[in-house]
Amino acid sequence: MDTKEYISSGIIEAYVMGLASEEEVSILMCIRKHNTEVEQAILEAEMTFEDLATSQAMSPPPELKAAIWNKISSQETTNSSPLEPQVEDSAVIHEIPSSATETPIRSLASRNWAIAASILLVASIGANIFYHNQSINDQDMLVQALVENQSTQQELQHFQEKWKLLQDPVIKTVTLAGVEQHPQLKAHVFWNTKTTDVYLSLENLPAAPKGKQYQLWAMVDGKPVDAGVFPLGKTDQVTIMHQIPKAQAFAITLETIGGNPTPDLTQLYVMGNT
Amino acid sequence: MQKKDQRAFNYLYDHYAGALYGIVIRIVSIKEYADEVIQDVFVKIWRYIDSFDAARGKLYTWIINIARNSAIDYVKSKSVQNEQKNQSLPDIVDVKEKHNFSVSTQVDHIGFKNVLNELRAEWRELIEMAYYEGYTQQEIAEKLNIPLGTIKTRTRGALLELKRILKEYE
Repeated sequence: MDTKEYISSGIIEAYVMGLASEEEVSILMCIRKHNTEVEQAILEAEMTFEDLATSQAMSPPPELKAAIWNKISSQETTNSSPLEPQVEDSAVIHEIPSSATETPIRSLASRNWAIAASILLVASIGANIFYHNQSINDQDMLVQALVENQSTQQELQHFQEKWKLLQDPVIKTVTLAGVEQHPQLKAHVFWNTKTTDVYLSLENLPAAPKGKQYQLWAMVDGKPVDAGVFPLGKTDQVTIMHQIPKAQAFAITLETIGGNPTPDLTQLYVMGNT
Repeated sequence: MQKKDQRAFNYLYDHYAGALYGIVIRIVSIKEYADEVIQDVFVKIWRYIDSFDAARGKLYTWIINIARNSAIDYVKSKSVQNEQKNQSLPDIVDVKEKHNFSVSTQVDHIGFKNVLNELRAEWRELIEMAYYEGYTQQEIAEKLNIPLGTIKTRTRGALLELKRILKEYE
């Protein structure tokens, strides 16, 4: 990844102003933990708005201070009452992260994680249904291929490999969904949690342009780890990648041929949590 | 306990009320509205202060965002109310329409400086729309008919310039 390029894309400013998408924020939160340059840029942008607020400060009417304290202390005493409208609270909780950065409040963060988790659950159930249906298709095609031609033997083998992977209980299937710029794209990682072998199926990713190659990354504790490049011109088969013992997510970027030591996040195509 | 709480409140208020009020009044434009919103802001800060996590950001940024969001939501709900009532009185929507010059003129005659005025107009506009009016970058791109990527890099340029200007103020 070219850190400078990433920073100059304006993502940090968007984040600090609460305008970045959930996906952009989660990538940024991942990166900031391991990249001091990015972390520094975030702090500086936040500082700019803090300084702006300080420089444009304006005294509220003096009587407000006592009025606000009265409001707060009267609420404190009624807080324990079950009559306190809970709806208001949840509305407040909801509105803060919607337009602000969600980082400042931990409970909101965990709430977001809960939402993210439930989305993932739905996604995973969806994937199960998808694979169930697809496996039936695969079976039909298998029979067809056997009867039709010997030359389809190889293709058949690919299907068999994939099919075997799909069936194997130690294989974890990770669906990598297209990011904002490529919403229709999809790829699958089949991850053998026992042997740590990683298999990649590019599904509908377009052929890599000349001089470029897809590279798989495992996000390990926020850090991208090279999981190998996808061989050129073999988009229709399942390929074994590097072994990955541990990962929270997988992502694919388009890199120069041979791959790069760190991902170019401006060329992020698909991503999915494990 | 109560006493200790009030001391904490005093500290919070004395340190941040001015900055927060400055933000809120820029967003809601009308003093009466700002007085209402700032009360709500401090009630929220007080209620959620326990959930503030210093490891994940600074208190100042956290409360600034609460103030900003409360004010933006207030403007949005006000304009919704006004639409529902179909008022002919000058409503907040009109105020926002005039916003391009009203932030400087209207607010300046209340008596405070607008640092943003020192930015190039195209940069100031971006910060005002995104930071004070709560538009998404996509919305800004559509409104100004400028590609989203340009909006993003231009916003960055605006912030870097703003940072430089603020340094001079120190």
